Amino acid sequence: MFGILEQDFSWLNLLIMISVAVAVMGVVLLFVVYAIYFERKIVGWIQLRRGPNRVGPWGLFQTVADVLKLLIKEDVVPTKVDRLLFLIAPIIAYTPSFAIIAVIPYTESLYFADVNVGLLYYGALSSITITGIMLGGWASNNKYAIMGGMRSVAQMVSYEVPLIMSFLGVVLMTGSLNMREIVQAQQDGVWFIFPQFLGFIIFLIAGNAELNRTPFDLPEAENELVAGYFVEYSGFRFAFFMLTEYVYMFAMASLMTVLFFGGWDAPFGLDFIPGIVWFFLKFLMLVFWLFWIRATFPRVRTDQLMGFAWKVLIPLALFNVMLTALLHTLGIYSGVN
Amino acid sequence: MWGIGLLKGLGFTFKMLFQPKVTTKYPDEPIEMPNRFRGIQHFEPEKCIVCNQCARICPTGCITLVGKPNPDPEKKGKVIDTYDINFELCILCDLCTEVCPTEAVVMSNNWELATYSRDNLLKDLKWLDENNTNIREENV
Amino acid sequence: MALRTEEMLLNVGPQHPSTHGVFRLVVKVDGERITEAIPVVGYLHRGTEKLAEDLSFTQIIPYTDRLDYLSSMLNNYALVQAVEQLMGIEVPERAEYLRVIVMELNRVASHLVWWGTAILDLGATSPFIFAFRDRESIVALLNEISGARLTYNYMRVGGVKWDAPEGWIERVKKFITVMRKHLKEYHQLVTGNEIFLARVKNLGVYDAKTAIAFGQSGPVLRGSNVKFDIRKNQPYSIYDRFEFEVPTGETGDVFDRYMVRMKEIEQSLNILEQATEQFPEEGEIQAKVPRVLRAPQGEVYTRMETSKGELGVHLVTKGKSDKPYRLHLRRPSFINLQILPKILLGRSMADIPAILGAVDIVLGEVDA
Repeated sequence: MFGILEQDFSWLNLLIMISVAVAVMGVVLLFVVYAIYFERKIVGWIQLRRGPNRVGPWGLFQTVADVLKLLIKEDVVPTKVDRLLFLIAPIIAYTPSFAIIAVIPYTESLYFADVNVGLLYYGALSSITITGIMLGGWASNNKYAIMGGMRSVAQMVSYEVPLIMSFLGVVLMTGSLNMREIVQAQQDGVWFIFPQFLGFIIFLIAGNAELNRTPFDLPEAENELVAGYFVEYSGFRFAFFMLTEYVYMFAMASLMTVLFFGGWDAPFGLDFIPGIVWFFLKFLMLVFWLFWIRATFPRVRTDQLMGFAWKVLIPLALFNVMLTALLHTLGIYSGVN
Repeated sequence: MWGIGLLKGLGFTFKMLFQPKVTTKYPDEPIEMPNRFRGIQHFEPEKCIVCNQCARICPTGCITLVGKPNPDPEKKGKVIDTYDINFELCILCDLCTEVCPTEAVVMSNNWELATYSRDNLLKDLKWLDENNTNIREENV
Repeated sequence: MALRTEEMLLNVGPQHPSTHGVFRLVVKVDGERITEAIPVVGYLHRGTEKLAEDLSFTQIIPYTDRLDYLSSMLNNYALVQAVEQLMGIEVPERAEYLRVIVMELNRVASHLVWWGTAILDLGATSPFIFAFRDRESIVALLNEISGARLTYNYMRVGGVKWDAPEGWIERVKKFITVMRKHLKEYHQLVTGNEIFLARVKNLGVYDAKTAIAFGQSGPVLRGSNVKFDIRKNQPYSIYDRFEFEVPTGETGDVFDRYMVRMKEIEQSLNILEQATEQFPEEGEIQAKVPRVLRAPQGEVYTRMETSKGELGVHLVTKGKSDKPYRLHLRRPSFINLQILPKILLGRSMADIPAILGAVDIVLGEVDA
């Protein structure tokens, strides 16, 4: 961004890059804090109650209080755990979620890395988190944690496949994996949600499962396994796992905006509102959708969940890709070559 | 079509976003109890005739009382000396108020008894006498 | 090359968010399949039956409140019915109507708690709050008439303790209309939901013969297509004056028992409507009984239909005393849960909350 990557290496450039990365991290953490707050508020309103409203005006500092509580807790590392794996599992889980944010373009000029294989980078890195979760479950030396870890890994691996396949239709229509070019293709034509509606539905469902949220939150099922793979983690390490989930929500929501809703494109030609505001609004729509689903649906059982992924979503995603390829070859959709 | 049930459920929860909230603001605002509510007992020593019915009917045996002969040599009968209710055992069933012939022990509508130590839960005559707010009107 | 597998012995409970109380289930799992399930009860045993040998009949009534603490009016009635039958006491009209109204209100409240917690165990958090909103209205009504929110201590031998206050019957009628509307909304939220259906259909199936052999009663029996309801087959109190249906299920799976209970809420609302219509203007609320209730020598077993099943009271008295010689309670939750080892065999761990939700036990009743 700002052309720094093309310049020669200098300490000043390095400093600028690091401070910008820290600033982005600050923005993402701010999002996480208020996403948790609004989740509790909105789920509370749906359930006819008020949600947090005592800590700070309108309860705005509730998450800050919760995170502070987690930070000052005692760092309990049980004796019989596999110590190295126990300690690095949260880090392996969290780092890819933050690394992904580098490739997302927010407006025409505000982006960090214009990587030609941006989408592939996204899909590849988001799979590394699964390793972290598996290590966390295994290293905890606890029956429940192992069961939760296995379930979670099975679920996330199965739902990666339809998730990536749902992008393929978009890639076919654009002809490139570069996220900026995808948004530009939508600016010239129509937003990809309309031709790729089936892909969008698959993305919503598979994205939900990737985030381990209700209705696919069996790994965290409090009622059945008492919190699954992170049952032995306390304090800041637990906060890491929670942070992973919410930063992924940020990444998934921005990805959806870029791929299906036209990024910073203004609908109905309302150009006077800046692009970043449009990006933000579309992004908030998906986040609200995730909260809404959480308040409404019960959980899906593990074997039904796997059956659903392999027997329903993957055939549908394949069908979507074939259909797009067919229509593209026949020249009906005149996307970019 | 598969999924209609899911969409109907979503529609219902969306509608619920705009309904009035049912949260009460306790403890900032006290909760109003109806008049018949069985709260902590109130005891008036002047009315007690030491018949022992309340101690006998209590299902958990939480009332202990001791009477003494009337200090006034002309009047007959006993007056109450000590009257303790052990609130670790009392289940607020109001059988004691039901049998009391003089309505010396009645229920009030107060119910906040939580303390930090169990020793505070043995209430004596003085405390029960002073607990005289929100007294229940009907005492069958 | 065969993989070496081991069976794991897991303890579900006694402290667990979804076992409805201090209930322990020892399961042997092979991966995710359950190979053996053994319920272990007794963590809430308080010795009610033994204590009752030393208490007079009026003093036992607060203890019966605490058996199935979610439907304590129904438990009160079980004891009072036994004593009245033993002593041959007749209850006045108005008291009977008051009894039926509070019992049916309590049945609705108990089924609402069942609904909220069963769906909560499956993962949806919202129906719990909606159910408790409605239960709050019922509990407020019962608070006005009896003075307590959960353990009412309302019925006495020969009648009831308090009369209905001003305007109470109108409030009950208003509640019936509101509850009917909310019940339709609950069906919209949960009953058609495909995720919920996939979770509960064809789960925990057992047929009528097994159900009767295990001594089941209540909605778990009616879900297996056995039309047996003590209010209809052996009517007590004034239930023969009301018209209501007995819902049954076809296949005997968890979904059928769910629908049976939802329809029972509807039928209870019907009974309430008829009872509030027929409510007599004036009357006594308690028959003339002596102050000290000395029962003649005898033995009686009476049964009634609570929200969980058949609650039976076996009362043995040896004349000349106001205390029973022996009081035994046939508790429906204790007997209904004996089918758990049979229907949990071969299922996966994730089915345990769904099946426990269908059987609907309350630990106060299981352990007495």
